[in-house]
Amino acid sequence: MSDGIRLTAGRRKFLAATAAVGGLQLSSPFIIKARGDVPVKIGFIDPITGSLSALAVSEVEGAKWTVDQMNKKGGILGRPVQLLVEDSANDTGTGVQKAHKLIERDKVDVIMGDVNSGIAYAIMGVTSDKKVLHIVPGGHTDPITGKDCKWNTFRTCNTTAMDAAAVTGELVKRFGKKWFFVTPDYAYGQTLQANFVKNLEKLGGTWQGDMLPIANADFSATLIKAKAFKPDVLLNNMGGAAQINCMKQFVQFGMAKEMALGGALFEIEAIRSVPKEAQTGWWVMEWYWNQPNVPQVKEFVDAISPSIGNRKPTARHWMAYVSLQAVKLAAEKAKTLEAVKMAQALSDLELPPDVSLSPNKIKYRAGDHQLMSDIFVGQVHPPGPDGPDDLFKVEEIVTGEKAAGPAEETGCKLVWPS
Amino acid sequence: MSTAMTTGRPAGTRTYLQLGIIWALLLTVPLWLPMLGGYTAIAGRVLVFALAAMGFNMLLGFTGVMSFGHAAYFGLGAYGAGLTLKYVAASTPLAMLAGTLLGGIAGTLFGLLLVRRRGVYFAMVTIAFGQVCFYIAYKWDSFTGGYDGLRGFLRAPIDLGFTRIDIAGNETLFYFFVLFVFGLAVGLQALILASPFGRTLLAIRENERRARFLGLPVERHIWLSFSISCFFTALAGTLYALLNNFADPLGLNYIMSGNIVMITVMGGMRTFWGPLVGAVLFVMLQDYVSSMTTNWMFFVGMAFVLVVLFFPRGLMGMLQKRSAA
Repeated sequence: MSDGIRLTAGRRKFLAATAAVGGLQLSSPFIIKARGDVPVKIGFIDPITGSLSALAVSEVEGAKWTVDQMNKKGGILGRPVQLLVEDSANDTGTGVQKAHKLIERDKVDVIMGDVNSGIAYAIMGVTSDKKVLHIVPGGHTDPITGKDCKWNTFRTCNTTAMDAAAVTGELVKRFGKKWFFVTPDYAYGQTLQANFVKNLEKLGGTWQGDMLPIANADFSATLIKAKAFKPDVLLNNMGGAAQINCMKQFVQFGMAKEMALGGALFEIEAIRSVPKEAQTGWWVMEWYWNQPNVPQVKEFVDAISPSIGNRKPTARHWMAYVSLQAVKLAAEKAKTLEAVKMAQALSDLELPPDVSLSPNKIKYRAGDHQLMSDIFVGQVHPPGPDGPDDLFKVEEIVTGEKAAGPAEETGCKLVWPS
Repeated sequence: MSTAMTTGRPAGTRTYLQLGIIWALLLTVPLWLPMLGGYTAIAGRVLVFALAAMGFNMLLGFTGVMSFGHAAYFGLGAYGAGLTLKYVAASTPLAMLAGTLLGGIAGTLFGLLLVRRRGVYFAMVTIAFGQVCFYIAYKWDSFTGGYDGLRGFLRAPIDLGFTRIDIAGNETLFYFFVLFVFGLAVGLQALILASPFGRTLLAIRENERRARFLGLPVERHIWLSFSISCFFTALAGTLYALLNNFADPLGLNYIMSGNIVMITVMGGMRTFWGPLVGAVLFVMLQDYVSSMTTNWMFFVGMAFVLVVLFFPRGLMGMLQKRSAA
């Protein structure tokens, strides 16, 4: 018995020590550093854990590098920039909580996020309520800059409508009009498939498809169904880890020889992780590192590569870069960090080539706050002569305006605070 | 109160002191929390999870039956409140009533089916029902918003006739509103547990067979306990929807059920205030550690393992054991 008591005391000491160490860890972020200027705070919410983590990690890498560069060049409005990254864990409730935390506790000037469309969408509820400028670097579902658009929300990546419109014609022309969809069952997947179907049916096509959970791991039932349907093209609309799993199983089932592959997004992060046989098909890139006709792109790629493990930057790095640079441009044009004035300044502001890194002139259009970026349609292939990230051949560049159609048709009606 | 609750001794000075400290801390949150680097919304979150876990604890800690599907009633409460605000009327009390009734009645009806199951079978059936609710919310896209959750509603200010409480715009006021509801619910729960009915639950927990031999209708008591517990958890769910202005299918998922169990066990499942302590620990860990490292789930899990290994009665249970010794 006495042994037991001694042991308990030992445990208590150990636990007290553990708690003390833990407490020190917790208390450190709250020390206010009273030197230099008050920083411009930018909150960045992304699903760093969960099935979309590869994409989120690229965005965060891009954001960190961009902020470092900005701080070397005098920050925003002469103030240093502080980036506060929060993990939404691919869970909407957590994302909303983190938005509250960043706005209420950290008093951030701008919120960015999230890769997951549903979370981005939910965070908009908080940012519009609190009147904080919100930039969505990489959540694609249409209503964010469509029927649910807000005066304070801007989006850098394309809408699903833009991506679908850019690639549908090419897929039909090359392979045929009988399509099978594998689609994640949440905001992004639903709007993407609806847009594909709309474009396909206009061209007289037929289709079948399966809606699956966002983090689905086993695709056998769906792929058997697809095999039986004998489509010309299989559209893999899944994202992140789920898309990779689907591709691997597609190859294992020997379906790569039976039908073409294609779809909207097959991002570099995902292409890197699939077997060679699955590195194929016609897809959309929202930005690509190899643009020989734009000299600024090479400068950007050479500058950022060393800090991201000597890989080439992906569209996700670019999205974070453009979003942060846009904040800087807006703040400097408005000469303030006030959300309404920044939002007004950013509307229709043409991005200079060293920010846009694109062949054509692009801007966040005033009608719906959607970035009219160039869309790169082309073929995915196994690593080519330019290294392990030479995975895509650009066949056609579609301008954002052409793919998106007029802003009035998106159903967006911006209501500005009086 | 808690000492009296578990041991049957009359409440003493120590109990009142404990009560005084807890309420003084809760009432002054907006004063001291910002100094510690917190924010008011997180205090609301703590109260919501504490209330959910205290409801659950009535079943686990005071009746001795394990449910692994309490997220179902929590989530139904949240959806009930959200759907009412979105489709019926912008009235916060109505939304809370609707959500509580939805979750509570679902639990009551479902309880009828499972009172005869015990142990692992009871837990399994509760998980199954929780997952049924999750998939309904997930799949019924047009009504519940599917995986993306139910958006497009806002908590409404409360009109008392003579005055208007603006819980919609003022975070601090909303915290006090949550605290008020929490206080009412917790007080009601304490009354129930101190009543002869509550004593009977303890008897069932301690020795079900003996309770049965004494002629107690054990099944009916467990059913009532389950039902009451669901009403409290659903009430917490409605507050969660109001807190976030959002309802989320993951709030119905078995992971959330697991969180409720974790909160209760970490805090101390046989003590009245244990779940509150557990909620403080859980929410703070989740919030702060996830800002520092992407491996935050590891630390939450480690905390749970440490508590279970070293304080099997939970943090609150340990404190009481120590002070009683």
